[in-house]
Amino acid sequence: MGSMTYDQKVAEFKARIDAGDKIEGGDWMPDEYRQAALKFIEMHANSEVMGAIPEGTWVPRAPTLKRKLSLTAKVQDEVGHGQILYRVAEDLGKTREQMFDDLVNGRTKFHNVFHYPAETWGDVAYIGWLIDGAALVNQKALLDASYMPYVRAMRRICPEESLHLRHGEELVLELVSGTKEQRELFQDAVNRWWQPTMHFFGPPSKKKDMLLYWGIKTRTNESLRQEFFSTYVPKLWDLGISVPDDKLAWNEDKGEWDWSEPDWDEFWKVVRGDGPMTQVRLAKRKTVWDTHAWIREVFAGIQDAA
Amino acid sequence: MPVWDVFGKRKLGDEFELVGGIKAPDVEMALVLAKETHFRHKEGVAYAVRRRGDDELHEGTYHGDVLGGLTDHSYRRQEAYTGVGAKHKRVGKLLAERGMVIDRPRPPVGRSPVGKRADPRDALPQKIHELTPEEIASQGTGG
Repeated sequence: MGSMTYDQKVAEFKARIDAGDKIEGGDWMPDEYRQAALKFIEMHANSEVMGAIPEGTWVPRAPTLKRKLSLTAKVQDEVGHGQILYRVAEDLGKTREQMFDDLVNGRTKFHNVFHYPAETWGDVAYIGWLIDGAALVNQKALLDASYMPYVRAMRRICPEESLHLRHGEELVLELVSGTKEQRELFQDAVNRWWQPTMHFFGPPSKKKDMLLYWGIKTRTNESLRQEFFSTYVPKLWDLGISVPDDKLAWNEDKGEWDWSEPDWDEFWKVVRGDGPMTQVRLAKRKTVWDTHAWIREVFAGIQDAA
Repeated sequence: MPVWDVFGKRKLGDEFELVGGIKAPDVEMALVLAKETHFRHKEGVAYAVRRRGDDELHEGTYHGDVLGGLTDHSYRRQEAYTGVGAKHKRVGKLLAERGMVIDRPRPPVGRSPVGKRADPRDALPQKIHELTPEEIASQGTGG
């Protein structure tokens, strides 16, 4: 490969992607591939650690010891996913310190759903079942991504997300088979969380899409949203829970769901950093980052002494 | 800080397989972090770390059932939720008897919800600067 020009190397690399080859961390890769993979995985890692906060605030208020244990374990898992993903991203050329500094100072972003408050135990049930359900739809598709270290991380993460989903589904079943107030608690959560969940998959993918071009993502946003509808909407309806979208229905002729486009202005406002809980949550992460600096220093000290 | 590749055996008799990586100042801490980040849920029966660039594999001291803990942490694993699918059907049936099911057009039973893989040859490339932090956050992943 030594005598090849950069453009020839890129063309050869692209042919590997098109043929479905996997790229290992040590393989040669075009800089644009490396940067795109880094940005995508970094945002995923950011979303894992920010996503632990809304549920984490419910650990002290969980209604039973069993729920407290399982919720604590779930929050630990989410932070663990962040650890695993930051490690994968680091190998693409950015330090964890820089990634965290960019996150807490608003230079990089995290997923829209983690900018909203978790107001009730109904929200905890919704997040556990349907936000994790939406995440699992996305993450299962990434099991076939082109960057092999990311695939390995997904192999580790998907079974845990699948467990979280069961935990959330059980919470939902308890609420919907309970009292009128419990059912209303969950219905209210669905009503508030539905639009952010639609936003979670992003606007319909465009033709010009670097992540699909390089196989870093393997499915379009719309295809993933449709899978979410088919997997979860019939289950909600079977539980007598409505979805706040009058248009939502399976269209047999088209072989897909009809649905109402959400307010995308709201979505862009939130991901830019102007969501209801954005500043509170970033401040929390920044405080922990600053007050725990001594732990990083201790680790560095062990290395110096070795 | 050195990088350590993490290896695991899913069951006895398997070869060590690369499962991920961690950063740690020394082998002792590398084994602690490897166990906590990759083997917390009974994912295997043995684990090891290898400092990137070295040949020596350092095996962890927890093996078999002990790896992942002996106290009841089943709430960390799928087995604690066996029966949730059946419960969903039971609750659905109960609500149907009460006439509470919402009857709207839905996909035929048995139709796979999974869509088709996007062909990378169909997408057009972008310039890296077009991939802004907001743009990246509009691409679903997880959390």
